[in-house]
Amino acid sequence: MTEKEIISKIEQLRQIKPEKEWVALTKERILGTEPKVKWLGLFDYQLKPILAGALMALIVFGLFSVSQNSLPGDTLYPIKKISEKGQAIFVSKNEEPKVKLEWVNKRLEELKEVALKNETKKLPTALKETENALAEAAKGLVKSENIAQKEVVEKAKEMIVKKEEIEKTLGVEIGGKEEENLTKTLAEKLIDDLENRNLTKEQKEVLEKAEEDFENGKYQEALLKVLELSYNNE
Amino acid sequence: MPNPKKKFSKIYDKYVEQIYRFVFLKVNSQEVAQDLVSETFLRCWGAFRNKKDIKNPRAFLYQIARNLVIDYYREKGKVVMVSADSTPLVDPREGLEEKTNKNLELERIKNCLTSLKEEYQNAIIWYYLEGLPVSEIAHLLGKNEGATRVLISRALRALKEKISEA
Repeated sequence: MTEKEIISKIEQLRQIKPEKEWVALTKERILGTEPKVKWLGLFDYQLKPILAGALMALIVFGLFSVSQNSLPGDTLYPIKKISEKGQAIFVSKNEEPKVKLEWVNKRLEELKEVALKNETKKLPTALKETENALAEAAKGLVKSENIAQKEVVEKAKEMIVKKEEIEKTLGVEIGGKEEENLTKTLAEKLIDDLENRNLTKEQKEVLEKAEEDFENGKYQEALLKVLELSYNNE
Repeated sequence: MPNPKKKFSKIYDKYVEQIYRFVFLKVNSQEVAQDLVSETFLRCWGAFRNKKDIKNPRAFLYQIARNLVIDYYREKGKVVMVSADSTPLVDPREGLEEKTNKNLELERIKNCLTSLKEEYQNAIIWYYLEGLPVSEIAHLLGKNEGATRVLISRALRALKEKISEA
């Protein structure tokens, strides 16, 4: 065989070729090793933790927003509670009674919604949440020096109206001992406050009747009277 | 700056067959050749992603492939086996097997080629099979162009001798 013939045979070895499928798959596999989240590549690597943080904040913010419409027994309900507690950190001592009563009203709203939607499975949780809110409000009010504020009075009145409305819907008493404690504390504090104020003859008569109700353990009646008096006395 | 993915994709398309042939002729196994060629291009892509300045991609790929083949034999303690009944030269689907006589002749050339010393093998593959310019082969072999020409000539003569002996 001449050198020319050998060279010609060598050139024929160009027929050695890889399988087309393998060529395509290998290319795909190699280029697939590139980081998938390409848009992050547009930014400097140092920015990635900041972006990740921002993304996380956005997710958390989204969860908090969505959770605001949740009801007791829902998956997102604990997040709603956490966000409430978080907001309470920035509340002054003076505003605490108002906030605590606001929570009670929220729990009553939720209870009402659960009842109206006939979500029986959520009802025990909603009732428990309401009781807890009432207990917490009572505890807060005992410690509070000044509850005779217009907003507190309004919240307390709102609470009584809502509670009665739900009791009619559900046909059960709400709150039990917790509710009694809160009503008693509120009535007692407001009576004390009114005793130190200048009242008209009629107002004094209402206060006396409220005191009488209080003595007889009729805390809600006493509270309703002093609430009316406090509100009108502002 | 050009998109490295695009750039690499072009290089892959252009050289994958050459690199595969180079590796296949040395390892004589489709499976091993595929593994080593994949690794060759993967390493090349790694260099691209790390923005390594690759002036001559073909030389770069051959260098990686060469080292991988050396590592392959070193790790496995293998010697280059040349056998007439070893892996077919091409993918059976290419239809070469049907051309039995032609195939046998090519097998003989291939076997003789792979029995040469590595430097001669490379010189023949790069010059006669792939048509690389002498300057590039010289660069790959780490020799000057004159010495490379002499080497190519000697390699072809050595192959001729092997064929006549076979």
